[in-house]
Amino acid sequence: MNGDKLVWVAPAPHVKHNDNSRTIMLDVVIAMVPALVWAVYMFGFRVLSVLAVSVASSVIFEFLFQKILRRPVTVLDFSAVVTGMLIAFNLPASVSLWVPVMGSFFAIVIVKQLFGGIGKNVVNPALAARVFLFTAWPSEIGGYVEPLSEKLSPLTVNAGDIVASATPLASLKLGETPDVSIFDLFIGNMPGCIGEVSALLILIGGIYLLLRRVITWHIPVSFLGTVAVLCFLFPQTQSVQAYEFMFMELFSGGLMLGAVFMATDYATSPVTSSGRVIYGIGCGAITVFIRYFGGYSEGVSFAILIMNLLVWYIDKATRPKPFGYIPKKKEVK
Amino acid sequence: MNKNDIMCCKTFISEVEALALTFRGGVHVPEEKNTEGKAVRLFDSPKTVSIPMSQHIGAPCIPIVKKGDTVDMGQIIGEVKAGLGCPVHASVSGTVIAIEEKRNSMGMAVQNVIIENDGENRISPEVRPYEGSFEELTFEEVVEVVRRAGISGMGGATFPTYAKIQSAKDKVDTLIVNCAECEPYITANHRLLLEEPDTVIGGMKILLRAFGLRVGDIAIEDNKPDAVKLIREKVKGSDFAEVKVLATKYPQGDERQLIYAITGKEIPAGKLPADVGCVVFNAETCASVYRAFVYGMPLIKRIVTVDGDCIADPCSVKCPIGTSYRELIDFCGGCTKEYRYIVNGGPMMGAAQWDIDAPVTKGTSAVLVFSEKVKPVYEQPSACIRCGRCVRACQMRLMPNYIATFSREGKYDLCEQYDVMSCVECGACTYVCPGSVPITQLNRAAKAKINEKRKLMKGGAK
Repeated sequence: MNGDKLVWVAPAPHVKHNDNSRTIMLDVVIAMVPALVWAVYMFGFRVLSVLAVSVASSVIFEFLFQKILRRPVTVLDFSAVVTGMLIAFNLPASVSLWVPVMGSFFAIVIVKQLFGGIGKNVVNPALAARVFLFTAWPSEIGGYVEPLSEKLSPLTVNAGDIVASATPLASLKLGETPDVSIFDLFIGNMPGCIGEVSALLILIGGIYLLLRRVITWHIPVSFLGTVAVLCFLFPQTQSVQAYEFMFMELFSGGLMLGAVFMATDYATSPVTSSGRVIYGIGCGAITVFIRYFGGYSEGVSFAILIMNLLVWYIDKATRPKPFGYIPKKKEVK
Repeated sequence: MNKNDIMCCKTFISEVEALALTFRGGVHVPEEKNTEGKAVRLFDSPKTVSIPMSQHIGAPCIPIVKKGDTVDMGQIIGEVKAGLGCPVHASVSGTVIAIEEKRNSMGMAVQNVIIENDGENRISPEVRPYEGSFEELTFEEVVEVVRRAGISGMGGATFPTYAKIQSAKDKVDTLIVNCAECEPYITANHRLLLEEPDTVIGGMKILLRAFGLRVGDIAIEDNKPDAVKLIREKVKGSDFAEVKVLATKYPQGDERQLIYAITGKEIPAGKLPADVGCVVFNAETCASVYRAFVYGMPLIKRIVTVDGDCIADPCSVKCPIGTSYRELIDFCGGCTKEYRYIVNGGPMMGAAQWDIDAPVTKGTSAVLVFSEKVKPVYEQPSACIRCGRCVRACQMRLMPNYIATFSREGKYDLCEQYDVMSCVECGACTYVCPGSVPITQLNRAAKAKINEKRKLMKGGAK
């Protein structure tokens, strides 16, 4: 029938699900598109310049690193694209264009590849880059553009001089009521980083990821739930109702972006369901702790990074009891 | 609620089958039951059959025929001299043309008795129906008849059935007939239930009697509603069988998950179903037990699903043990494309074959022939991205991602700590892995290494 053609002889199983790393990463990219479109509408086309530089430099750094070290090149799995997009999402639209390049280098080369590449990094590369840029060049990151008033053209090279405005989160930190309504906070009509402003559109992306079964509900729900409960129980200001304060905290800053896209990063979150709940609660608690008592107004990045470091222990502690587990016999008294 | 209401509720629930029984974890594999609507075709005229003397665990048989002997259907041609095992029989009538050593799919050299079929289908005088009264069947009689008939589990694992019955003596209160058939493609049990339900039910009755049980369960996945309906009708009004409907999920047909779904009991690690009072028989095994008693016919034929994207006319075929895949494939219209992958059994747990002339054995539930479409899973570069899908898929509740990582690094002690020995190698983790990590394969390697080490330590202690 077959002439001399050879057949494959491999151990079972012989079939595989269609999902692979690339389809998952593409789904994440798709989930980020609504928030991106909103950012372009809000801040102007310069958003796309930041994004393009960030994504391109991430991919190039990964490619170069793997080429130089003669490792298999894995840029086609799109994970570098996701990292690049997330770095851009964490920068204001007015940022100088060399900043995302620095961020990409830190994220891809130092945080991801030096630790062994995809799946082996200890902390989330994009978040680590955000914190790195945030602490190294605070003045570059600090300038948030007031939405709609000054649309930035894609060719604005250095937009650092644009009048920056305080983010609602910074106002909350000072015990003031932000001059933005909760509804505006929810849809994203406020100053902030490119990808973090619209809670609504990030949630839509999150629902897409849930429906595609890319992420599970455990981390976002426990993360946001913990923040909501803590803020509701211990509001920082008496000038608004507790529930109003809770919604302001939920919809401002990088919380939504962090809970939906950052904390759910596979490599740096637990693999067990119960572990994911613990991890989410930890992220939420540390976020509120830093927002209330820390020096920064924003605590999400640090919270997630701290929990990232604990993932291995959470996995170990929440290891399920195997089917038919026989408990070790206790000594009879 | 009075009793009547409760009965009504129960009937209603069982009718809508809202409560299909199942277990935690597992995966949904595309069912590909392309042959479920096609009647089983009988293929009883292979030119030659090559009957391996070892078709399952236990001692291999010693051939008791010589080259040139004339044999009849059902005649014993291989006997076990000592230890666990049951005889093998001639599956066609004809002449022994050779006794030669061949490598089976596991790579082991096995004696094969090759018989040229004379097409007369002479039945051996050894084939005699059970003459005693079915009402007075004793446990020992059942064991002996089943052993003489060479019956072994026909679901794939092929454990000798008489040994299973023996080991479960006086321990069981639940007997389950396994018609889950959770592997993709395979429809052998489904067709058997539709076409010969009485043999399955009859075999179950005999086994129930052996264990002194009154009621047994027939477990069917809910992707076979016609079989559920038919068997329900068949056992209506009798009180010895209950049809249990299971959710369609892989690996529902695994004994451990089947027992868990039906009784809620977990078999402790390293123990047998009998240790939780259960015994499970494959549907076709039951049918074979029935035939062994009623017609005296030993296990010489079985239903094989022939499918895969290469096969011109996929269908389930009833053929003699020892028929070569080549003849079976030709019977189904041959291949339409070049074949590159031949699997004995289902695509999740079956063994890939290198030889298209390999024979059908007692455990061959399917012969799947694929073109280039199917490639070994480790063909692609792989990396664990820690998505946790394998952890959620593992019905044994292990952490396959960690075990695979440790195994790849050669840290077998850690694998053992993470309970790799509980792994049943069902393949669900490899199936779902988006990183293309050959998890099951790595687990298997770790298990082999650990077993090796345990053997060494045992030897050292002596």
